[in-house]
Amino acid sequence: MARYLLRVNGERREVDVDGDTPLLWVLRDELGLTGVKYGCGVGLCGACTSHVDGAAARPCVRTAADSAQTRITTIEGLSRDGDHPVQRAWRELDVAQCGYCQPGQVMAAAALLARDPDPDDAAIEEALRDNVCRCGSYPRIRDAVRRASRIMREER
Amino acid sequence: MISRRTLLRGAGVGALVVAVPVPALAAEGLVPNVFVRLDDAGRITATVPRPDTGQGVRTVVALMVAEELAVQAGDVSLEQAPGDTERFGSQAVANSTSVRQLSTPIRTAAATARCLLVTAAAQRWRVPVAECTARDGFVCHPRRGKLPYRALVRAAAALDPATVPVELTPPEKWRLLGKTRGGRVDARDVVTGRTRYGIDARPPGGLVAVVARPPWIGAVPDTVDDTATRALPGVVDVLTLTAPADGQGGVAVIARSTHQALRGRDALRITWRGGTPTADSRAWLADLRAALPAQAPIAGVQQVYSMPLLAHAPMEPMNATAHVRPDGVTIWAPTQDPGGLRTQLARQLGVPAASVRVEATASGGAFGRRIEPDPVLEAVACSRRAGAPVQVLWTRADDMRNDSYRPMSVHRMSAEIGSDGLPVRRAHEVVTWPLTVLPFFANPALIKASGDHFPYTVPGEVSVVVRPAPLRTGFWRSVYAGQFVYAEENFLSEIGRRSGLDQVALRRSLLPAGSRLHKVLDAVADRAHWTRPPAPGTSRGVACLEEYGSAIAVIAVAEPGSRKVLRVHAAVDVGVALHPSGVRAQVEGCVVDALSTVLGAQITVREGAVAESSFGDYRWARIGQTPDIDVTIVRSDAPLGGLGELAYPPAAAAIASAIAGDTPVTSMPFGTAVG
Repeated sequence: MARYLLRVNGERREVDVDGDTPLLWVLRDELGLTGVKYGCGVGLCGACTSHVDGAAARPCVRTAADSAQTRITTIEGLSRDGDHPVQRAWRELDVAQCGYCQPGQVMAAAALLARDPDPDDAAIEEALRDNVCRCGSYPRIRDAVRRASRIMREER
Repeated sequence: MISRRTLLRGAGVGALVVAVPVPALAAEGLVPNVFVRLDDAGRITATVPRPDTGQGVRTVVALMVAEELAVQAGDVSLEQAPGDTERFGSQAVANSTSVRQLSTPIRTAAATARCLLVTAAAQRWRVPVAECTARDGFVCHPRRGKLPYRALVRAAAALDPATVPVELTPPEKWRLLGKTRGGRVDARDVVTGRTRYGIDARPPGGLVAVVARPPWIGAVPDTVDDTATRALPGVVDVLTLTAPADGQGGVAVIARSTHQALRGRDALRITWRGGTPTADSRAWLADLRAALPAQAPIAGVQQVYSMPLLAHAPMEPMNATAHVRPDGVTIWAPTQDPGGLRTQLARQLGVPAASVRVEATASGGAFGRRIEPDPVLEAVACSRRAGAPVQVLWTRADDMRNDSYRPMSVHRMSAEIGSDGLPVRRAHEVVTWPLTVLPFFANPALIKASGDHFPYTVPGEVSVVVRPAPLRTGFWRSVYAGQFVYAEENFLSEIGRRSGLDQVALRRSLLPAGSRLHKVLDAVADRAHWTRPPAPGTSRGVACLEEYGSAIAVIAVAEPGSRKVLRVHAAVDVGVALHPSGVRAQVEGCVVDALSTVLGAQITVREGAVAESSFGDYRWARIGQTPDIDVTIVRSDAPLGGLGELAYPPAAAAIASAIAGDTPVTSMPFGTAVG
């Protein structure tokens, strides 16, 4: 066990875990950030997608030791009030069914739009290729990313 | 108007509803029944009796209550009912029944509260009840003005409901139900990560367990050396789980955190015995094919279809949390049946049902898997041992390799073709396995009833041979209809192709004029511009299904060359769609399931074990493979129908036919070896 200083959602958080503990379990078990979802543990499903230094990343395949000194944003820290354009677009288009994969989908979409404010379908499909939705909300996700892009443009 | 008692008696769970004492004490506000209550501040709370597994039942309940109480959906707070069949009736999410069976009781419950409030206002104003209306949280009168619900709660609670007639709001006056606007009531929680699924249950002092599961089908632990495991930090205990009392069996490692439990499991040294270490799903398929009679009953056109094993693989892996105390048990679980689970636990543990509390959490998908209690039984065994709350977590590989799979099956279709190219007689011979999770599902008649919904006017026979299941099998969305309809519709398309007939016209001519299926087929053909020839390089597939009290027709458009599905059109008749966005969502979900299973997702068994372990090799569709999905809702006078499973079978058949182009479909997945 060792102490690691993490920067999560704008706060400095200290955790006492083994260095090889996946960041996913640090966030969920140690910090109570249960919006970060476990789906596969091996980087294949995207349910835990969060931002590390502003880019989409999979906390299940990073360790606590890797994550010291990085800037981590989870779904809980994406916006103050749940009104990030991606979150609003997801609500407007009624994207979610069970909702379990959606925090990861939202975080992947937000990271995409941060680097490419006007993605075409190919860019959307590339960015979200490894975010699995078992309920089949993909057509609405595609529409909602486009909608979020438009919201961001209108409000710029 | 009809009396409240008459209405409730017709509601399916009516006797249970009226058994609740009414009116409740005024101090508690207005509590006319188990589903709806208003507190003294006029705040409305509705109890959702069935779990939301993604089918949207919480949203529909909120809409029904808001409609009848003349408020907005956001004005209704929702509580999820714990398991309690005596109070809530069946709580099982199964067979596409949630909305169908809840519509009358929930709407009646809310309408009862409204009628009591309106009557209380009329009495206060000394005006006829008929002159008063409920609107936006007030009871209004043209001359007396308006009173907020909160001012009427106590007076309404003091009324004898037996003296107050209850009238449901007629569909032509609906403001919310049946309207296109408005999404899920839980949407904000979902996109902010606040929704609490089973995996998010965190009772104070809780521990986490993972289970070392059999390395091949049917193996049981022979020797267990846990010395290294127990020496690891955070490991609390190790125990052997024995099937069936403790779930599926294995060796559980209980630890303070998930990571510590996983490391503890890695350090176990277990030898296993028994089971079928050489089992192979290709041999299982060969066994099913060999069980077909030597000759088909009809000597005309014939085709054999092979269907694979499928896993449920909900995004939230199996898990359950239990706290076993001397005075009772509390369960937090993503379950499809909290009421049945409570009854089963009480019986199995030999304790009164009143001491068992089952909290139905949000569920990250279910698809039939969460009707089974095995993760809960594991959690109970672990908590009893640890004397603390324990969450049992299945890894994705645990989930993929220890599921209750959709059975493999073989279907031999044969038909006699008339001079007009249409089938005049048909036979469908099925060889498959039972559903082991529900032993009475080994009955061929029951399998036939689940799968056989052939809607066309072609006389014929369906026969079912049941072979012993070589692994756990269970309910998978649409159950046996998924296999039967795939074979029947692809075979009908094959006949149409051989006879050079138009696929829509051929189905039209075999459906009764004026039938629901005829209408949805016309509607979907219209949406898909069927009468225009398909674009070069594209091909189209058609399929229909009437089941669960609803009817659907699907047309898929694909490029056979690239196996790319371009568009899927569906027209669906559920009677009246209470939440149109939710109706579309269920069809879209079924279409993606269909796409996934036609394009390549299947479970295979090699050397005794399921080969697939995650979403890398269980090839579920991704966003880039998913076509535009166009859903048309066709309104009819039919009673409210079910929907959760309706679209999967015909969507799979239509997609396969479209991808196949001019070649016959012989399997699911299309063009891939099965097993």
